[in-house]
Amino acid sequence: MERPGGVMRLKAAVDRLLGGVLAAFMGALVLDVLWQVFTRFVLRDPSSFTDELARYLLIWVALLGGAYTAGQRMHLAIDLLPSSLHGRRRHAVGALIESAVLLFAVAVMVVGGARLVGLTLLLGQTSAALRIPLGWVYTVLPLSGALIAFYSLVFLGEHLRGLRGDPTASVPEPAPGEGLAPAATEVA
Amino acid sequence: MAWMDALVLGGVFFVLLAVGVPVAFCIGLATTAAMLLSIEAGPAVTTVAQRMATGLDSFTLLAIPFFVLAGQLMNRGGIARRLIDLAKAAVGTLPGGLAVVNIFASMLFGAISGSAVAAATAVGGIMAPRMRDEGYDRDYAAAVNITSATTGLIIPPSNILIIYSLASGGVSIAALFLAGYVPGMVVGLLLMAVAGSMAVRRGYPVAARLPLRVALRTFVTALPSLLLLVVVIGGIVAGIFTATEAAAVAVLYAAVLAFLYREISARDLPGILRESAVTTAVVMLLIAASIAMSWMMAYVNLPQGVSAALLGMSDNPIVLLLVINAILLVVGTFMDMTPAVLIFTPIFLPVAAKIGIDPTHFGIIMVMNLCIGLCTPPVGSVLFVGVGVAQTTIARVIRPILPFFAAMIVALMIVTYVPALSLWLPGLFGY
Repeated sequence: MERPGGVMRLKAAVDRLLGGVLAAFMGALVLDVLWQVFTRFVLRDPSSFTDELARYLLIWVALLGGAYTAGQRMHLAIDLLPSSLHGRRRHAVGALIESAVLLFAVAVMVVGGARLVGLTLLLGQTSAALRIPLGWVYTVLPLSGALIAFYSLVFLGEHLRGLRGDPTASVPEPAPGEGLAPAATEVA
Repeated sequence: MAWMDALVLGGVFFVLLAVGVPVAFCIGLATTAAMLLSIEAGPAVTTVAQRMATGLDSFTLLAIPFFVLAGQLMNRGGIARRLIDLAKAAVGTLPGGLAVVNIFASMLFGAISGSAVAAATAVGGIMAPRMRDEGYDRDYAAAVNITSATTGLIIPPSNILIIYSLASGGVSIAALFLAGYVPGMVVGLLLMAVAGSMAVRRGYPVAARLPLRVALRTFVTALPSLLLLVVVIGGIVAGIFTATEAAAVAVLYAAVLAFLYREISARDLPGILRESAVTTAVVMLLIAASIAMSWMMAYVNLPQGVSAALLGMSDNPIVLLLVINAILLVVGTFMDMTPAVLIFTPIFLPVAAKIGIDPTHFGIIMVMNLCIGLCTPPVGSVLFVGVGVAQTTIARVIRPILPFFAAMIVALMIVTYVPALSLWLPGLFGY
C-alpha cells in the first residue's frame, strides 16, 4: 500500500511539472509567431529567428505533450477489447498494452532518439538562424521517451498488482465525454 | 518485396489496434517492425525517430495548435452562444426548428474555429438541453449535432486541409480553403433537408419569427465573431498572412474578444494553454508516427504498387473515384482522420492525378469522405464527443443517424463528380 502511494505521488508531481512546462511553451509559441507578424507588418523588419524558434518549440510541445497525454491516458485507442473484460483478464490486456507502449518509447524514442542526438552532434549540424546545435533540439525525443516509459511502468505496475489479485490496483480510465481525448484526434 | 512489407505493416498495426494499444503507438510500432525487414535494428529505430522529429519540423503544422487554441478560447469565450443566437434568428423559423439552427450554428462555428470536435462540444453543449426542453428526441438531436459538426472541417479554416496540403507536397492552402466553401454548404443543406423532413414527420416545433429589431441586434452581437472569419480567411487568400500567422492572429483576436466579453480572466489562461497543448500533442504524435509510416511506405515503393494495381483495374475516372471513395470510407471507420490523410494521400493522389483529377478537388473529396468516418464507430472522435455532450450512447444514436449518413454520402458523390463545386471559387480568385 505504501509504495504505490509513493509512485502515484511522484506521478502527480511529474504531471504538474510537465503541465506547467507545456502551458509555458504553448504561450511562448503564440508570442513568438505574433512577434513575427508584428515585426513584418509594423516594424517592416522581419525577425530572422522566429520561424525557426517556432518550429523547434512545436517539436517540443508535440513530444513532451505526447508524454503528458500518455500519463493522462488520453491517446486515442480502440478500447473495445479491454472494456469488454473484467478483473484479471482486463489487467492482463492492460499489461500487454502498456508493454507495447513501453517497447516503442524505449526502442524508438529513447534508443533511436539518443542515437539521432549523438549522430547529429557528431556531424556538428547547427540551425540556420539561432546557430544552436540541432542535436539539442532532438534531445526532446529521448526525454519524452523516458517520460512515456515512466508512465507506462507506473501503469504496468498497477496492472501486475491487479493480476496478482490485489483489489487496490487502479489504473486511471480514459474519461470519455470529457472532450480532451477524442478532441485530440481530429485536429481537424 | 513491397507486399511483404505491407503485410507486416498492416498485420502489426491491426493486431495492436484490436488489443487496444493507442493508435499513434500502433502506427509507430508497425512502421518499426516493417522497417526491420530491410534495415538493421540500430539504424531502423534511429530512422523512425528521425522521421518523427523532422516530420514535426514544419511551420505549416504550427497552424494546428493555434487553431486549437483559438477554438478553445471561442468555446469558453461565449462566441459559440452568440453564433447560435444568430443562427436561431436566421433559420429558426424553418421546418426542423432547432435542428436546423444546430446545423447552421455548426457551419458558422466550424467556419471560425475549423474544428469538428470543438463545434460538437460547443454547439452541442448549448443546443442539446435547449432541444430537450422543446421536446426533441435526445438521440435525434445528437445525430444532428454530430453529423453537422463535420461541416467545420470542410468549411475553412480547416486544420485537416492544412495537413492535406502538407501530405500532397504543397497544394495551396488558400486554394483548398476557398474550395471548401461550396462543398461544405452542400453537406449543410442536405443535412438540413433530412433534419427538416424528419422534424416535420415527428411534429417538432418551429420558432416564432423574431421582431426585426431583435434579429438585427443578434446580428450586431455576433458581428465581432464573424469578423474574425474575414481577418483569417481574407488574410490568407489575399496572401497577407501564411495560414500559421493567420491562426496566431486568430488566437489573439479570440483572446481579446473573450476578455472583452468578460467570459475568461487571466487566471484561466494557463489552464487553457495546457489543454490546448494536450489536444495538440495527441494530434501531433499521430502526425509524427504517420509521417514515419508514410516515409516507410515510399521507401518500399508501396504507393507505386497500389497505383499500378488500381490503374490496372480500370482507366475510367468514374470507376476509379468510386473505388477510392469506397476504400477511404472503410479506412475512415477505423482510422482517425489525420493519419488517414497523411498515409493515404501519397498513395491515392498520384492515381487521381493520372486520371486528371485536380489535386485541390481531390483534397476536398478525401476530407469529405473521411468526415463520415468521424461519425462512425469504432473510431469516430466526433461521434464520441457528440454522444458525450448529449448524454446518450453510441448504440442509441446509430438508428437516427443513418439518414444523415445517407445525406453525407449523397453530398460526397455530388462533390466527387461535379468538380466545379470545388474549383469554381478558387478559380474566381485566380488559383
